[in-house]
Amino acid sequence: MRVVSFLFVDLWPWWLGGIAIGILIPLMYYFLNTALGVSTGYGNFLKIIAPATKLKWLNSDTYKNRFNWRFIFIIGIIIGAFLSARTSGMPILTSEMGLFTEELSWSHVSYVIWFFAGGVLLGFGARLANGCTSGHSIHGIATLQKSSLVATIFFLAFGTITTFLIKLFVLGGS
Amino acid sequence: MIRSFGYLLAGIFFGFALSRSGASDYNFIHYMFTGENFKLALLMATAIVIGVIGMMILKALGNKDVHGRDIKINRKPLNKYTVIGGILFGIGWAVSGACPGTVLAQIGEGKVLGLVTFLGMLFGTYIYALMAENKPLL
Repeated sequence: MRVVSFLFVDLWPWWLGGIAIGILIPLMYYFLNTALGVSTGYGNFLKIIAPATKLKWLNSDTYKNRFNWRFIFIIGIIIGAFLSARTSGMPILTSEMGLFTEELSWSHVSYVIWFFAGGVLLGFGARLANGCTSGHSIHGIATLQKSSLVATIFFLAFGTITTFLIKLFVLGGS
Repeated sequence: MIRSFGYLLAGIFFGFALSRSGASDYNFIHYMFTGENFKLALLMATAIVIGVIGMMILKALGNKDVHGRDIKINRKPLNKYTVIGGILFGIGWAVSGACPGTVLAQIGEGKVLGLVTFLGMLFGTYIYALMAENKPLL
């Protein structure tokens, strides 16, 4: 029983999460000969929404098959988190987002604009930098790539700066 | 077919691990950046160390995959866009409290604002696609 609640109900300790995510890199290379990465798959969704797009980038080899492994992998992540939410008793749907919705009482529209804007920066930034936290920070550094180290330093540095600004000006210094 | 199932399984495992370890929790990311709780940073560092060890083992075994083919490491270019993209990504990370992987976990967990972040990411990717049209170097 204790093992069940340790794995499925309680929050994992950091080392278990680290081991689970880290081991995925060699496992995916060994069994699938594929580099762990998520953000490139966002192009698959654009191609699914607009299959007849004339944009060159969306017609490159990467997106020849919009239902390729990246799409399947992304669907898997959603299912995995859904299962985790069920075993740990999270609500099916929630409009909460941690501190942000606890400490602020913005209108729905303001929240939507804020998180959408954050998403735009993430989506655009990840494509410019050629990867995200998975592809660069985890996979890229683990495979000893200089560009991944550089990208990760900037991810963390500007994440930290922005968080302090948010704390000061948005969350009101709390 | 078996390969597709492998990818699905890898995704489910990844999403489950992200969610179970709190990586998709807004506060975890916020507190990592404020220095109040380094659990997430420790998680990432552990993942990197385990990844390095795993890749070393694969290399020691001849760098072959399960079918005996050479393992091809996906190499990423380093240029000014790595820096510009990294800066924008870092800001977006702090604003939304998510990254392209954990936002999918947020969707699975039923967080509606995570879905909003996801839609924003699609739009950001679309802006990139538009810009790549005119600047092939992007």
